[in-house]
Amino acid sequence: MIDNSSIVIETKNLTKRFQNVVANDCVSIDFHRGEIHSLLGENGAGKTTLAECLFGFYQPDSGEIYHKGKRVTLSSPRDAIKLGIGMVHQHFVLIRPFSVLENIAMSSLKKSVLLDLTATEQKMGFLCEQYGITLDLHAKVWQLSVGEQQWVEILKAVYYGVDLLILDEPTASLTPQEANQLFSVLGQMKKQGLSVIFITHKLKEVMDISDRVSVLRKGKLIDTVMTSEVTKEDLARKMVGRDVVFQIKKDRSTIGEPILKATNLRTQNDRGLDALRGASFTLHKSEILGIAGIAGNGQRELFEVLTGIRRLKGGEIQFNGKSIINNSPEEIKNLGIAHIPDDRISEGLIMDFSVADNLILGRQRDKDYRKGPFLDRKKIIDSAADLIRIFNIVSPSPLNRTRFLSGGNLQKVILARELNRDPKCLVANQPTRGLDVGVIEYIHGRLLELRKLGVGILLISEDLDELFSLSDRIAVVYRGEIVETFNTPDASLEEVGLCMAGTGGVSI
Amino acid sequence: MKLKIGFKVEKRKNVSPAAQIMSLMIALLLSALATGLLMVIGKANVAEGFIAIYKGAFGTWKASIESLVKATPLILTGLATVIAFRARIWNIGQEGQLYIGAITAYWAYTQFTDLPPAALLTTTILFALIGGAVCGFMPAFIKAKFAVDEIITTIMLNYIVIYFLSWLLSGPWKDPSHYYQQSPTILEKAQFPILMVHTRLHLGFILAIVAALILYLLISKTPLGYEIQAMGFNPTASRFQGINVVKTMLIVMMISGAVSGLAGAGELFGVILRLKSNISLGYGYTGIIIAMLAGLEPLAVIPVAILFGGLINGSFLLQTTTNIPSALVYVIQAIVLLFFLGARAASVYRLRITKSD
Repeated sequence: MIDNSSIVIETKNLTKRFQNVVANDCVSIDFHRGEIHSLLGENGAGKTTLAECLFGFYQPDSGEIYHKGKRVTLSSPRDAIKLGIGMVHQHFVLIRPFSVLENIAMSSLKKSVLLDLTATEQKMGFLCEQYGITLDLHAKVWQLSVGEQQWVEILKAVYYGVDLLILDEPTASLTPQEANQLFSVLGQMKKQGLSVIFITHKLKEVMDISDRVSVLRKGKLIDTVMTSEVTKEDLARKMVGRDVVFQIKKDRSTIGEPILKATNLRTQNDRGLDALRGASFTLHKSEILGIAGIAGNGQRELFEVLTGIRRLKGGEIQFNGKSIINNSPEEIKNLGIAHIPDDRISEGLIMDFSVADNLILGRQRDKDYRKGPFLDRKKIIDSAADLIRIFNIVSPSPLNRTRFLSGGNLQKVILARELNRDPKCLVANQPTRGLDVGVIEYIHGRLLELRKLGVGILLISEDLDELFSLSDRIAVVYRGEIVETFNTPDASLEEVGLCMAGTGGVSI
Repeated sequence: MKLKIGFKVEKRKNVSPAAQIMSLMIALLLSALATGLLMVIGKANVAEGFIAIYKGAFGTWKASIESLVKATPLILTGLATVIAFRARIWNIGQEGQLYIGAITAYWAYTQFTDLPPAALLTTTILFALIGGAVCGFMPAFIKAKFAVDEIITTIMLNYIVIYFLSWLLSGPWKDPSHYYQQSPTILEKAQFPILMVHTRLHLGFILAIVAALILYLLISKTPLGYEIQAMGFNPTASRFQGINVVKTMLIVMMISGAVSGLAGAGELFGVILRLKSNISLGYGYTGIIIAMLAGLEPLAVIPVAILFGGLINGSFLLQTTTNIPSALVYVIQAIVLLFFLGARAASVYRLRITKSD
């Protein structure tokens, strides 16, 4: 049982404001040794702010922080690291042109001019083996998938030997298997006396992994409870403030004729290695075709060749019977293939543009938005105001800088822009990654609506629950090939999982 | 309980205009202090020095007009920098593009000398624009094809162009009646019209103002300007969302080169009236400083360039009245830029008083 002497870190009446927004309102929580403690809440509930206060990145406006019973002032992350507090941020802070080893060795605290890569490699090799993580230590960070980068961040923190590890939405980019692996690693760490603060908005994970859970809503601590004493529904109600529907109602729709046909796609990734090795599939009108797979099996490259950003080395893509392999991204968009990239910030939006400008990105030359040679500002803003209303985008005005929007609203801006073009086909790469329940519910609803309207949707996702609840069929991609396609009602999670690991069915 | 008061530097979420103006004032004050210090080191009377700079720059009506003359090429090279830098293309080749503009315009002048004045004027200006554009296109093309950094290629092109001109002036285009490397004087019919009698203020100044207006409209009101800004902020997203970034880069570099080329024609046909290898006093490089100080805003380039034009003239008077070499002007330019950039970076932060016990 938990007693007070085992408290690692504790906040008392912690309040943090950003201008007029209260991000944390008199929050008092304690975190114990050898405990996995979830911070649960929707985006904007104040989870990350609280964690950043504990990590010394932000300083509370009032209230206190106690570390092992002693009052501390954390004026920078350096102070926190000295106390053995490590944090893995939601947006990675890795140096992309450097290798995994260099990243880890570089941020090591040892005061040495030279990087000891050999020692780092040895210790890292040991750590990877201990936790059963496969990671190419010599690969450059930019060449890694998002999931792999996440491992680098976690290993970096573990490498220092922290005794309190804060993880901000660590599973947002992991496959179920990777997430399970992470959970087992965290379980091992917990046994060794490490404390984990686990920030998430996924209820299932809270139930699976944490000993205790604190629910935040609009900056206030709603409750801290033992996980074993509550149900998922209880937590959802505390988190959202209302009852939440977990099961999506999907009506059977009759799949239409083929709209996007990919045959034997071959291409290489940025490292010059084969990423697609003959992937084939057919997407129909009124169909959601899910693409399941572990991160780094060619999903990214598949998305890029379908949207014209990456050139094919072989194969054929036909849209409504016409080849599109030589078309530019712009031409492909104009044909009616909309897309949602998985990295909204670096690939989907111009963060320094206004929301209105982002809503016409790619259509800036359309006659609709032009008056003679000039952009029709009034029309752009009016249409933005409409879209902001229709898609419930929370933005003070169409002229607000996109940078100031929350993650869910950023995704809604992309969705609004893409759907505003009345696409015939939508290619979405992890459209709900890292978003909170409310927004996910909303996006799922929109996708099903589009399907009803006859749009063919290719849904690339690493979230199997999402694929099972939305897709009509699920195609599993493994090492750049579609190894098996399942009809969703007949498929089991286990079968699909096995295929993703490369031990399932036969190539079709 | 003992109360400890400390200071903490925090990042601001929004930088208010007041803070920006404040930082600018501080930068100017510090620049003046540093310049004064240099005068002290140079054993000159500081007050006299500043008065000399002011008088030389804007002290009289004539000095002011002459400052506008000096500002003319600076406005253009500043604009050339603005459009390139807004797209995050680091064109450092304004100096070479200016010279190429002068060279091609001079070539056109020699070929079409017999045209009536208005037609000749239009032709030389057109050729200056084309020459600059081609000179801007080359590094952009090399970047697009072979991913060679444009900073390197544009700087190298500066030297190539200047030595090429030196060759032209020592041979084919040399004025045989002179010892110096220079062309014969431009015929009066080809010279840029003077805007005010008894001054050197020429048509180029009007062209520079028009160029600033056009670039302002282009960048902030047209689809191309939208694409230029999008590419500058985030080239990856621009590419993903269907903007042809290679094409945009080529266009931007051609516009940038053309604008610098126009500066070359202005100096050749408006001020120097001969093709020489020193028609530019580093205007290409000064243009970069001006663009930075103008915050990459096309219209803001005009006042900053006029200020710098004045500074150049002021430093000439400084040299004659005190013993300080006019080269001090380059030091002042650099000082202003450094303090300004420093102040702008600092205005993003604020000082907060923290209390703890």
